[in-house]
Amino acid sequence: MNPYILATLLFGLGLGTTITFASSHWLLAWMGLEINTLAIIPLMAQHHHPRAVEATTKYFLTQATAAAMLLFASTTNAWLTGQWDIQQMSHPLPITLITLALALKIGLAPVHSWLPEVLQGLDLTTGLILSTWQKLAPFALLLQLQPANSTILIILGLTSTLVGGWGGLNQTQLRKILAYSSIAHLGWMILVLQFSPSLTLLTLLTYLIMTSSTFLVFKLNKSTNINMLATSWAKAPALTALTPLILLSLGGLPPLTGFMPKWLILQELAKQDLAPTATLAAMSALLSLYFYLRLSYAMALTMSPNNLTGMTPWRLQSSQLTLPLAISTMATLLLLPLTPAAVALLTL
Amino acid sequence: MTYIMSLFLLGLVLGLVAVASNPSPYFAALGLVVVAGMGCGVLVSYGGPFLSLVLFLIYLGGMLVVFAYSAALAAEPYPETWGSRPVAGYMAMYVAGVVLISSKFWEGWHEFSWVPGDELGEFSVFRGDIGGVALMYSAGGGMLVISAWVLLLTLFVVLELTRGLGRGTLRAV
Repeated sequence: MNPYILATLLFGLGLGTTITFASSHWLLAWMGLEINTLAIIPLMAQHHHPRAVEATTKYFLTQATAAAMLLFASTTNAWLTGQWDIQQMSHPLPITLITLALALKIGLAPVHSWLPEVLQGLDLTTGLILSTWQKLAPFALLLQLQPANSTILIILGLTSTLVGGWGGLNQTQLRKILAYSSIAHLGWMILVLQFSPSLTLLTLLTYLIMTSSTFLVFKLNKSTNINMLATSWAKAPALTALTPLILLSLGGLPPLTGFMPKWLILQELAKQDLAPTATLAAMSALLSLYFYLRLSYAMALTMSPNNLTGMTPWRLQSSQLTLPLAISTMATLLLLPLTPAAVALLTL
Repeated sequence: MTYIMSLFLLGLVLGLVAVASNPSPYFAALGLVVVAGMGCGVLVSYGGPFLSLVLFLIYLGGMLVVFAYSAALAAEPYPETWGSRPVAGYMAMYVAGVVLISSKFWEGWHEFSWVPGDELGEFSVFRGDIGGVALMYSAGGGMLVISAWVLLLTLFVVLELTRGLGRGTLRAV
């Protein structure tokens, strides 16, 4: 792509999220979200093939619907309460509508069906931007929605963890697996939103780090389905050794970083006397864990049959940047001892 | 005044039905013109002349014209107008639905549940929304700058999506 256009679009992505972060007026927040949608559309369609164009179209339609719902809800709020401030919402109808609109924006169940198809049509870098950066702005708004509708949030949360687990079980394409993993993690984030928004923020940030590692691993190995992952073990042995740990961190196993949010969320749910909810969420994490284990097994715990040239490739210096992967991998694996510091830093 | 208002609203709903009943895009665009025109009439009477003028100028005079030219590029030999069987079926269904639902709101206290922007003083441009316009151009100046930048970004996005002729994103171009 023309570098000037690429720079303009990336600037637009940054500006959109910044505007939403910095806004206290619903119109400005909506503008930031629309700028984000607009700027990522050409990035998604840059590889001009029909599958990418299909993914772009689906993404545009769902995000436009969500943004229209957001605009409608904020106008209704202005009509009912006379003001546009994000943090002063008091009427339950606009709050519920905005929660549902933002749920459509980020891909929570039951409005999640667009996410696997959209992610599958993109290359891994754009998929990474979609799964990480594009979640920040809607969450900034969700964290500020104060008297939230309790039932809706718990239903969204539990449905998302279950759908994310069950949906990912039958997938062989890695991008779809990561889409369902995203849905499940978003479910955990929404589940604890009304009790402790700082835990939602913590879960979001750890999810961002873990999924960045995973996308970057797949990008370095140039693998997009389980078969390609299985035959990539010889390309970078250090990575092959670390990838199971990254995937198990995504699955939420101690002593890796991914355990931190799940542990704290279950503790918070138990403190709020919601033991059945906590149990159901913990059990649904087992479903996701199964497909993370399957990926680890395929890549590192088994040496898949391959011909000689596949098993002994030249390990030349990669032309891709490996520093982001190195940093995010270390963060994905080793941040659990910093739990008290993380919780203290992220008090909202 | 009530008569004109009822006429405008009836035209609005019929125009919406004409768009939603899925005819060919040229006829749907005509429906949109009717909807926008009638909606502007309602807005003017209830204190929103600025919004009405901007709607005519930008929506009808800018966006709809561009849409009409794009639809003309994709012309089809047998366009489906409102007389053809499936479209007429949809229209009948929508009109029936509107009559059914609105019959719940014909009597009683619903008759007085309109919320006007201000009282109908005179037929002029200086009405209730002028205060908001002044605020938009003074305190909201930053937002206008961002809006202008977003429009430029949209231009670049559309140009990027449509460049390349047959090898680009939209192969039919």
